[in-house]
Amino acid sequence: MIGYVESLLNGILMGSIYGLTAVGLTLIFGVMKVVNFAHGSILMVGMFAAYFFVTLTGVNPYLALPVVVPLLFVFGFAMQKFIIKPIFEAEKDVREPITVIIVTTGIWYVLDNLALLLFGAQFRVAKTSVTGKMLEIFDMYFLWPKIIGAGITLLLGLYLYWFLKYSRMGKAVRATSLDREAATLMGIKQNRIYNIVFGLGCACCGVAACVLVPFYYVYPTVGVPFDIKAFIIVVLGGLGSIPGAILGGIILGVIETLGAQFMAATWTEMLIYVFFLLVLFVKPSGLFGLKQDY
Amino acid sequence: MKIDRKIMPLLLTVLLVAFLGTATAAETIRIGNIIPLSGPSASVGIQGKKAREMAVAEINEAGGIKALGGAKLELDFADSKSDPTTGVTEAERLINNDKVDLLTGCWNSAVTYPTTQVAERYGIPFIVPVSVRDTITERGFKNVFRIAAKDSWWARDQFSFLADMEKEFGTSVKKVAFVYENGDWGTGFAEQWRTLAEKAGYQVVLDEAYPSTASDLTPVVIKLKRAKPDVVFMTSNAADAILLTNTMAEMKVNVKAIITSGGGHADPSFLEAAGQNADYIFDIVEWEADLNRIGLKETNAKFKSLYGHNLTGEAVDAYAAMYVIKDALEKAGSTDPAALRKALSENKFCDGNLQMLAYDCVDFDSTGQNKNANLVIVQIRKTDHGMDRITVWPKSVRRAGYTPVFPQPAK
Repeated sequence: MIGYVESLLNGILMGSIYGLTAVGLTLIFGVMKVVNFAHGSILMVGMFAAYFFVTLTGVNPYLALPVVVPLLFVFGFAMQKFIIKPIFEAEKDVREPITVIIVTTGIWYVLDNLALLLFGAQFRVAKTSVTGKMLEIFDMYFLWPKIIGAGITLLLGLYLYWFLKYSRMGKAVRATSLDREAATLMGIKQNRIYNIVFGLGCACCGVAACVLVPFYYVYPTVGVPFDIKAFIIVVLGGLGSIPGAILGGIILGVIETLGAQFMAATWTEMLIYVFFLLVLFVKPSGLFGLKQDY
Repeated sequence: MKIDRKIMPLLLTVLLVAFLGTATAAETIRIGNIIPLSGPSASVGIQGKKAREMAVAEINEAGGIKALGGAKLELDFADSKSDPTTGVTEAERLINNDKVDLLTGCWNSAVTYPTTQVAERYGIPFIVPVSVRDTITERGFKNVFRIAAKDSWWARDQFSFLADMEKEFGTSVKKVAFVYENGDWGTGFAEQWRTLAEKAGYQVVLDEAYPSTASDLTPVVIKLKRAKPDVVFMTSNAADAILLTNTMAEMKVNVKAIITSGGGHADPSFLEAAGQNADYIFDIVEWEADLNRIGLKETNAKFKSLYGHNLTGEAVDAYAAMYVIKDALEKAGSTDPAALRKALSENKFCDGNLQMLAYDCVDFDSTGQNKNANLVIVQIRKTDHGMDRITVWPKSVRRAGYTPVFPQPAK
C-alpha cells in the first residue's frame, strides 16, 4: 500500500516537471500557432548552460535560474527575430505557416548536432549541494530536487497566469493570439509580441533546465524524451492552455509512475497513449482547450 | 584544331586525376563501419570509432597489407543512430555506392541482426566486434564473424560467478530480481536469466523490462525496493544505467549484490556520472584494463593519451576487429569476398596486437562465432584515484591483493 502512495506522490512530482517542460511549448503554440519542434533542443541548450554554470562556479543550482532564464529568453528572442520572423513575413498570406514548422525542425537538428560536436556524446551529471538529497517519511522516499522543481513549476504557472491575465503586455499577447490582424490594427506590434512570446517560451525551458540539472544528466539529445512528452501534454491539456500543460504533465507523471506498479514499466507508455486517445475522443480540444479553429 | 590547345591541359588534368584515382583505389581497402554515432548509444559508438581509427593508423604506418603490395586500410563510417532501418539503409549504401570490401558493426544487436542479413545477401564479409544476441551467428550465414562472446555466455558466466561468490563468502542467495532494457539485448539476457535462475533454484521476485529512453526510472526502483531481492541482475544502456544506479542509491535499495551486464555500466561516462553511487557493483565485461596481458598497458596508455580515457571492452573488440581484418587480408592475399571468407573461417588470428585480449587467439567456429571469447567480472570500487574497476573473477585473473566485497554493506 505504502508503495502506491509513494508512487503516486513521486508521479505528481515528476509530472509537474514534465508540465514545466510543456509550458513554453504551449505558450508559443497558443499565441503564434507555431509548433516549435526545436523545443527539446532549447531545453538541452538550457541544461548545458545550467550544467556549466553550476560546475564552474559551484553555487547552489537554483542560483543558475537568474542567469540561465534571461539567457534563454534572449536566445529565443533572437531566434524568432532573425530566423522565424523572415519566414513568417514571406508566408504572410498563407493561413497555415508550414515552413515555420520545418524551420524549427531544422533548428532542432542543428542545435543537437552542434552540441554533439562541441561537448561530445558523454553523459554529464552536475554534482550539486542538493543532488541525491532525499526526504524520508514513513519509509517513503522523495528526491528534494523534484520537490523543489514541483514548487518552481507552481510558481511559474501562477506567474504566467498573472502575466497573461493582468499585465499590459500579457493583454497584448492575448489579443494577438485571438486575432493577429485585429490586434495589429489596434496598434499592437505583432512581431514584437512574437519575439517576446518566443523568448518567454524558451525562458520556460530555461526554468525547466535549471530544475532538471540537479537530478538529471545532460547530453546532446537529452531534449528528445522530454520533447515527445511535452507534445502529448500540450495536446492533452488543451493547445495554448498553461494550467492544461501543468495538469497534463501531472496526469502523465502519475500514469507513468503509478501504472508501473501494476504492470511492466514498458506498458505504461501504451497506457499514456490510450488515455490520450480517450481524452481526444471525448473532448477533442483537450482538457482545458477552448473550442477554437486553429 | 584550335580548341585543343585550350582543352588539352584540362583534359590532361582530368586524365591524370582519373589515373591517380584508380591507382590509389587499387591500393586501399575500404572497411565500412556502421555504428551508433548519435542517439542513445552514441557514447559507446564513438569509443568504437576511436579504437578503429587508432588500429588502422597503426596498421597503415606499419606498411599496410604486405600481401597486397602495402595496400592501406580506409575506414568509412555510417551512423546507425541505434536504429535498425537506418543500419540496413546504410549497409546498402556502403556496399552499392562506396563499394566497401568488408563491413563491421553495429554494436546494437537490434541493428546488427538485420544489417548482417544485407551483407549476407551481397556476400560481403561482416565482422561483428560486439553485439551479443545469440541468433546473430545462429542463422547459418557464411559472411558473419563475431569476435565478442554471445549473450548466453554472458548470462551463464554471471550465474557461475554468483555461485562461486556464495561458496567463497559463505553467504546464500535466495531471491533474485531482473531489471533490463526492453530492447533486443536486454530481453535476450532476461530469457537466459529465467532458465538459469530456475536451474540454480533461485526465486525470481521481480522480472521487469523498462524502456531505455525513459526519462524517469523511479517507478522501477520503487518496485525493486518493495520486492526485496538479495541480488539484482541488470542490463542497461549508459543513460538508464546512470539513472537507475543514482535512483537506487538515493532510495536506499539494499541488496547483497548488483550484477550488471557490461554495456552502459562499462561506459566511461557511467562511472563519472554515477560516481560513488556505483560502489560495489559487479560488472561483466569481455576485457578490463587491469588484465595481465601482453601489450595491454602500452596500447591502453596510447589510447588514453589520444582520447583521454581507458580502453573499454567495446573499444578493444573494435580494435581487435581491425587486426583480424588485417590478418585475414594477409592470409587471403586478395580482397575477393570469397577468399576473405575462406581466410576468416579457416585460420586462427593471433597477431601480436591481439594478445591484449583476455584470451590467446581469435578463432571462428563453423557458425562464425569466436569460440575463444571469454568473460571476466569486475567490481567497481572507490579507491584513492576515484572509481576503479577491479577484476575479481575468474579467480585465476583476480587482481593481486584484492578481495571482493560480498555481500555489499547496507546503505
